[in-house]
Amino acid sequence: MSDIIERLEHILVDSTVKARGTSVAKRRRRNPTKPSAKWIAPARIGNEVGVALAVVLGTVGCSHARGDSGGCTMCSYLLDGDERSPTTDELLQQFDNAHSELTDETAPLSVKIYTSGSFFDTTEIPSDVRTKILARIAKDERIQEVVIESRPEYVTPDIMRETRDILGSRRIELGIGLESSNDAIRSICINKGFSLSTFKGAVANAKEYDIGIRAYVLLKPPFLTERDALLDAVKTIEDAAKLGVSTVSMNPVNIQKYTLVERLWRKEQYSPPWLWTVMSVLRDAWNKVGSSINILCDPVAAGKVRGAHNCGSCDESITSAIREFSIHQDISVFDSLDCDCMRQWHHVLNHEDISLLIHSRSRRS
Amino acid sequence: MTEFLIGRGHDGPARVGVYRMGSTKVQTPFLVGSPNTESIIGYATLGRNDSPSGGPMILAVPSPIHDSKSFISDAREDDSILLPSFPAVSFLGAEAAELMLESQLRFINEIQGMVDPSRLIVRIPRQLAPEKLASILAEFSSLGVRAASMLFDGWLGPQDYSVLSSRTMLPIDWLAIALGRISPSSIPFLFYLGFDVFDLGYAAESASRGVRLWNLSEESITGGILPRNCSCTACADYSDLRELDREKLHAVLLGHNLNIYQSNLSESVQSLRLGRLRWLVESMVHSSTAATSLLRKTNKSLFAFLEEFTPTSGQTNLSLIGPESYNSPTVKRFRDCLSSRSTPPEHKTLVLLLPCSARKPYSESKSHQRFIKTIERAIGAARSSVAETILTSPLGVIPRELERLYPAAYYDIPVTGDWDIEETEIAADALVTHLQKFAESVVIVAHVSGGYLDVVKSAEDRVTQSIVYTTDQHSPSSFDSLQSLQNTLNDMREVLSLKGGPPALFKDTLRATADYQFGPGAGEALVPDGAKLGGKLYRMVVCRVDKEQTCAFIGDRGSLSLTLEGGRRLIPLQRYWVRFEGRKLEGGSIFAVGINEADPRIRPGDEVIVLNNQDELIAVGRSEMSGREMCDFKKGQAVSVRHKVV
Repeated sequence: MSDIIERLEHILVDSTVKARGTSVAKRRRRNPTKPSAKWIAPARIGNEVGVALAVVLGTVGCSHARGDSGGCTMCSYLLDGDERSPTTDELLQQFDNAHSELTDETAPLSVKIYTSGSFFDTTEIPSDVRTKILARIAKDERIQEVVIESRPEYVTPDIMRETRDILGSRRIELGIGLESSNDAIRSICINKGFSLSTFKGAVANAKEYDIGIRAYVLLKPPFLTERDALLDAVKTIEDAAKLGVSTVSMNPVNIQKYTLVERLWRKEQYSPPWLWTVMSVLRDAWNKVGSSINILCDPVAAGKVRGAHNCGSCDESITSAIREFSIHQDISVFDSLDCDCMRQWHHVLNHEDISLLIHSRSRRS
Repeated sequence: MTEFLIGRGHDGPARVGVYRMGSTKVQTPFLVGSPNTESIIGYATLGRNDSPSGGPMILAVPSPIHDSKSFISDAREDDSILLPSFPAVSFLGAEAAELMLESQLRFINEIQGMVDPSRLIVRIPRQLAPEKLASILAEFSSLGVRAASMLFDGWLGPQDYSVLSSRTMLPIDWLAIALGRISPSSIPFLFYLGFDVFDLGYAAESASRGVRLWNLSEESITGGILPRNCSCTACADYSDLRELDREKLHAVLLGHNLNIYQSNLSESVQSLRLGRLRWLVESMVHSSTAATSLLRKTNKSLFAFLEEFTPTSGQTNLSLIGPESYNSPTVKRFRDCLSSRSTPPEHKTLVLLLPCSARKPYSESKSHQRFIKTIERAIGAARSSVAETILTSPLGVIPRELERLYPAAYYDIPVTGDWDIEETEIAADALVTHLQKFAESVVIVAHVSGGYLDVVKSAEDRVTQSIVYTTDQHSPSSFDSLQSLQNTLNDMREVLSLKGGPPALFKDTLRATADYQFGPGAGEALVPDGAKLGGKLYRMVVCRVDKEQTCAFIGDRGSLSLTLEGGRRLIPLQRYWVRFEGRKLEGGSIFAVGINEADPRIRPGDEVIVLNNQDELIAVGRSEMSGREMCDFKKGQAVSVRHKVV
């Protein structure tokens, strides 16, 4: 089977590159001194509830998505970036701009640095910028937690040591898109471009310096039935817990522009997960490993056609239960949820597996 | 061991049979769904649902991203197994689709010895070129696979054409399964195209959405509109479904939806037995533009497949209602055979074009009786030199000699007098082709008006003979028109020096019928000059040569039955032969198991000759299947013997 998977991989790379089209080259120019996005929100910080600042630095974008490999089948975050790499000064200005959002907040604070790619990739964030940004965080005593995102291949012992040195005793968590613990799914459904062993290496390197890992788990990449997607997400969360990650952030696929997933979705060959599926994954996973790790989920575009959704009438209550769960890690928030569409969801779980028909929700009659 | 045996009876590629799952015999066509009940073969996914229980089921192996092999042991001896594949991957293109088949082949090799391959079902992806598909399927066949599944997504439309096209590539003795969302109205269509098993998933899905399914539409049981009245077993007790609680409503809808699938399937099977399946399909597509386009495209592009399994004889009325009928297999085959096989008798020096009549055969209608009377009044016995040719839609042209043939004597169309462009073109093309078979000196008398006249006018430029019009736009059976016809024929008697000869109607009819049934040359072989012909056209006309009967024309069917002598005379033509693997016949039927070679022209219902392994004629009879089926099927009656050498 391995050669068939390999040939499928090639086809997948071609298809993702095609889906990307000219979108990467044609990214619109943006103000290089402002971050792509920034927001603050209440968040769980250790055992307390505080405020978290999230900043998305506008960089040249994820190396995997920029390159010939086409990037991941569901992701076009790099379109937030710029075709030109910002200068050292510009990148620092971006961070400072976001940092100022925290001026009036009190401890405990959390800072999450995203780049639509990898913070530790020096082609995106030169090493001097990296150390300067970390130094600015180190100076802010209110910040007790730092979350950074990177692909695992950039998580080297040197960078881990340096990060720990600068940030001192703060809680540090490294977000890595594991997506799935199944190598076949990660390659032929996601085109992620690394194997489980690379991820394990990154976990080990980070642990060495007491840096925790926040594993991103993807719910429902393309080419899976709803049930296979559900089972794989639960299994991945379980596996991630066993590998020693500190947190799992579960991300239901949403339809982003210029991705293979979008193309499939337009042809009704992909459908975003049901919110029931999201709920089931959280509940099943929490029952298995909830005592050892936090499981978070903030579904993007929930209740919308491009995001995880149900029938329309129950979407809001389920989405808010999911958010509630993320903060309090209490699965009883799901207990009272019910809707007529649950039966339909059960049907899809069964029937997709048997028929392999993608049950797109628009094409019925 | 799992086995699919195809039974007797055909209407297009549709067939009935038995799918043997171990010791359980399941009549095909059948429905699959969940749960597993007496009337529904259950399906489930291995490792995902409860362990299989009850009668044999169809079980899916989960995706190849898992260790698919590990699931196999949960299947029971008699269960059939859907091979593992990925959803949606084939949409990445032909190469990906091919890989989906290759991975299934690989899986079969992996489980060798664990499962009898006759239990396996290959999943056919979309997007694969038909030739490529055929060659890969041959590999599955050589491994012992005998069933395939294909995917549909809701109400049929042009997007499903490629799946239907893939269906035609299956080895003919394979079981064909339609999975996915199958609307109830699709069942006759898919059955007609040769699908044997239908997924009930859409019945369950619709019920879960609060939707009641009907043949032509879907009804949502919510909101302010009063639900329809339904007297089916599920609905009968409830006058307003909106008053039911959730659980009860779901049960009622599920019951109703299953009922409609069961009723449609049984109607389809009965229609096959009555030779009316094509009519049912045409009737049902009319409610949907998408399904109608699909049928039109299928008529055109999959004609060879449809035609191969469409019987050549029938005794039921053939209602040709709309444009979907213009190129239905029976209709287009008639036009094709007429064009390629029929030769007008040499003594015809005048072609008289006449309109068709509602009553069949035409000569028994009031209008044609008048035409015939007029012809005879004008030229008497010289009528034998007139090629009476009837123009009609959508069959094109019908020589008087073939008016009793199927489908000419059995079709019916909605008559308004208006012809659409396609009908006019079809008839004009048929007319041009037909007239090319006559000498240039022949005169054409067009005794037609209205749409028929438009046909002649639109053919005129392409006709080399001269055309005389007689009706002056009046109805052809009006007094004036008939008078004009009589005068014209009178004139022609002199111009063409028409002479009376021996009555030729029997001979012309039998020869034309022989050529139509067996191809050029058959007429002369079976009805040589000097043959003695006796009887009545509307009953039976027997043909004897030197006191030995060669064939008989049967008025009811308008076709010839052969005697052994007639069969012998046809041997040199090398058509419509079946080779029996043996020397001599026992019994009154020949079964497919005894046939390895047969003329691929043979269709169900054809008169055929049976040769033994030394090329001697041993029987004549009527085929029960097409030539290819006789060769490929291991079981089933291939020929009903009429006469055999004793």
